[in-house]
Amino acid sequence: MQSRDRIRLKSALGAAAFGAALFAAGLAQAKTITVWCWDPNFNVAIMKEAGARYTKAHPDVTIEIVDFSKPDVEQKLQAGLASGVAEALPDIVLIEDYGAQKYLQSFPGSFAPLSGTVDYSGFAPYKVELMTLDGEVYGMPFDSGVTGLFYRKDYIEAAGYTAADMQNLTWDKFIEIGKAVEAKTGKKMLGYDTSDAGLTRIIMQSAGQWYFDKEGGLAIEGNAALKAALDVQKKIQEAGIYKPATGWNDWVAKFTSGDVAAVVTGVWITGTIKAQAEQSGKWGVAPIPTVDVPGAVAASNLGGSSWYVLASSDVKDEAIDLLDTVYAKDVDFYQTILQDRGAVGSLLAARTGAAYDTPDAFFGGEKIWQSFSKWLGEIPAVNYGIFTNEVDAAVAVQLPKLGKGESVDAAIEAIAAQAKVQVQ
Amino acid sequence: MSPSRLATRAGIYAFLGLFAFLSVFPFLWMIVGMTNRTGDIILGRFTLGDAFLENARNFFEQADAPLVFWNSAKIAILGTIATLAVSSIAGYGFEIFRSPARERIYGVLLLTIMIPFAVLMIPLFVIMGKLGLINTHIAVILPTVASGFVVFYFRQATKAFPSELRDAARVDGLKEWQIFLYIYVPTMRSTYAAAFVIVFMTAWNNYLWPLIVLQTNDKKTITLAISSLASAYYPDYGVVMVGALVATLPTLFVFFIMQRQFVQGMLGSVK
Amino acid sequence: MSPRPGLRRYYDINGWSFVGPAVALILLFMAYPIVWSLWMSFQQGRGMRLSFAGFGNIIRLTQDPVFQLALGNTVLFFVVQVPIMLTLALFIAVLLDDPHLKFRGLLRTLIFLPCVMSLVVYSVLFKSMFLLDGIVNQTLLALAIVSEPIPWMSDPFWARVLLITAITWRWTGYNMIFYLAALQNIDKSIYEASRIDGVPSYARFFRLTVPMLKPVILFTTVTSTIGTLQLFDEARNIVASDTSAGTAGPGDSVLTLSVYIYNLTFRFMPNFGYAATVSYVIVVLVALLAFVQFYVARERDR
Repeated sequence: MQSRDRIRLKSALGAAAFGAALFAAGLAQAKTITVWCWDPNFNVAIMKEAGARYTKAHPDVTIEIVDFSKPDVEQKLQAGLASGVAEALPDIVLIEDYGAQKYLQSFPGSFAPLSGTVDYSGFAPYKVELMTLDGEVYGMPFDSGVTGLFYRKDYIEAAGYTAADMQNLTWDKFIEIGKAVEAKTGKKMLGYDTSDAGLTRIIMQSAGQWYFDKEGGLAIEGNAALKAALDVQKKIQEAGIYKPATGWNDWVAKFTSGDVAAVVTGVWITGTIKAQAEQSGKWGVAPIPTVDVPGAVAASNLGGSSWYVLASSDVKDEAIDLLDTVYAKDVDFYQTILQDRGAVGSLLAARTGAAYDTPDAFFGGEKIWQSFSKWLGEIPAVNYGIFTNEVDAAVAVQLPKLGKGESVDAAIEAIAAQAKVQVQ
Repeated sequence: MSPSRLATRAGIYAFLGLFAFLSVFPFLWMIVGMTNRTGDIILGRFTLGDAFLENARNFFEQADAPLVFWNSAKIAILGTIATLAVSSIAGYGFEIFRSPARERIYGVLLLTIMIPFAVLMIPLFVIMGKLGLINTHIAVILPTVASGFVVFYFRQATKAFPSELRDAARVDGLKEWQIFLYIYVPTMRSTYAAAFVIVFMTAWNNYLWPLIVLQTNDKKTITLAISSLASAYYPDYGVVMVGALVATLPTLFVFFIMQRQFVQGMLGSVK
Repeated sequence: MSPRPGLRRYYDINGWSFVGPAVALILLFMAYPIVWSLWMSFQQGRGMRLSFAGFGNIIRLTQDPVFQLALGNTVLFFVVQVPIMLTLALFIAVLLDDPHLKFRGLLRTLIFLPCVMSLVVYSVLFKSMFLLDGIVNQTLLALAIVSEPIPWMSDPFWARVLLITAITWRWTGYNMIFYLAALQNIDKSIYEASRIDGVPSYARFFRLTVPMLKPVILFTTVTSTIGTLQLFDEARNIVASDTSAGTAGPGDSVLTLSVYIYNLTFRFMPNFGYAATVSYVIVVLVALLAFVQFYVARERDR
């Protein structure tokens, strides 16, 4: 009944206004798995690789990957989930780890649990935890955002420091080196965007805390890690060792163009850095600087995302099988995506593969993947909660003020006040 | 001419010249940018480079240019025709056949202009889902067809439509729809031209709604394609500039061929 | 005098068939969503888990610093940008209306040109032009107008300046066309007469031009008011950063009400009820301002 109405209404509309023939709605072919993700050089390319591996054994399945920018994927997903229109959703979607619980909790029943199928014991525990709700695990853990300090050896050496000096840094020492780099080379140490809370998150998680406590309640005031993160950023701004960046693209351009000496971020940036072939041999990788907070380590995480299967998908079984076959079992796949794309997966077994043991000429022959795998195991687990975006925005409002004389305590107070209204 | 008038004159030319230059500068920047590499563009290089062919090739490789261009053209042309048809008929109807009930509806219609689109997106999306129109170009077009603004524009223009013409046609025994089609439409050609320019530009440049309602690569419009190129992790500004030009040419073209009628049509609407 | 019943029926049949298609489409694609959002504005909750909240959302408005910031920014853009743009457009239109002016067709075309450019394109262009080492700062430095590059996108003040510059660039020519069209309708002999009477040009402008253009000025003011209060695309795309925090400009300096609605709907924990409430703030503002503008225009009629 309902579908007949729909057809009647649809054809009436079409005939009345435009002629239905022009707009035949694309009928989904049987066994087409539609995937939404962002970044053509990373997630899209990797999913293509996974799809190629899977369809080799299952020729009846085709994979269609639709590429949007990350905010666009999130917006379309939210629109599709909110409207309850199943055709509006893909079969598989990539979700950044910070947002996982938000989707799982606010659209219950929209995602297919994978816990019956996938053996989760092989994955980094922090990834599994963030996709678990009420005892069910919903996603397929994908890339890790394990962080590192990428730096230009040539600039650092010109400033009178060596690769050994870059190990075991504190943030204070990092700033000191930054001043020396500027004095000797005229280059700034970092590209830094005051509307981005990324550095805040890196430092905070390296000290084992987040905006929320274990129960998901706000933990802004009295959060030593957050305070330390803001402290560091106030010092960076006051020391003037950064080049202001606006937005992601501009920020990336700062280090790819050789304008700055270092970048502290997730391992997924490796591909972008290596894309500048003329800079081969000039880069090094070190653990991130540490803060003086009990329990703080020189490892953290930024970003990273995972695949989710929509419960409304009509090829749900194939979609789950695709993820399970490739992402949970194919160790060789992880070697390929590491070599080709610089993607560090969260399947622990993959770390023993050959690709992880290969020296990288671009980084002067360092075995950088070994370092990243080592740091991956050291990342403190925190609760990303369901309001990370909201508090991020509150933090980003205060960041520019820190450089203009606002005290860290005042900033924390303002963040807490804004966050309190936003998280309801 | 006295010296002081001469100075005023020179001042006027200088001011208008400067403003015109600033108005076209981004266009020049786009054209120069197409020939340069990203590294030069972000450092503000404003001289022609030699990377044009490379950028153009990359653009046609990275975006399915003919397809997205065709999709945009289809949406813009059909959408504009439908909008002009439905909204001009309504604008004419509201002005010629007045009644208290229709005046009230007209008032509501004007009020809809005030509603921010962001809040309508979710319910609109639900409606499109119920109609089975998600991921169709018809879903992009439909919500824009009855535009409060265009209805208003045509009602204003209709005020200048000479009533003698209508009366004469009625005496000749023409039906109301014939009067509209055979007398009104030809008389108001330039009004239509002006509306065409504005509606076409809006339809061609539409971004937010197509972004939500279109789901697959084969339905994407050129603005969506450019926005995903520009938001890549490492965007190639040279390539984006090529895309920018390709996306701007149709609106430029429409404006230039319709320029004369456009200004004429504006005349009618603001009386 | 009421029309004869037969004529009235004739009127109604034709009237409804002419406006029918548009009204049906408006009912489906505007009225229904509007009613839905009105109902939503009394709901609270996460995603689709909603519960009735009464005036809870309105109370929340009064406690929400982000809403207040967005409201302040929106009003600021309105108060600063609309007068600058319309004055500029009117001024240019009056200059271009001079039949003795050479190249007026060319100048008019060039100044109108910005509004053919699509939003996505012009945001990319403005972004690339106003980078710290970009062409704009290079030029300003070369001309010695500034001694340090202006941090267009990383300083809250300059980010707002940039946004206002961008919107003014895009829409001045568009408004100018309306004025120009209206000016061409004015009988030139009135000008001639007053010129012969020795009325100075500025007085002619204020006593003749402005009053005669009042309907157009009102029209452009109302449409610009609506446009500025709903400002979304530019605020989101030019200065807004695409980083994870998704603030609109440094310290949310260009966060507008529409961007906030978008965030509440798509970026944050989806809160459709609260988003709907914020959008009705825009509706109320637009309605109030439109009323005031009509009122002011009417007063001067007498």
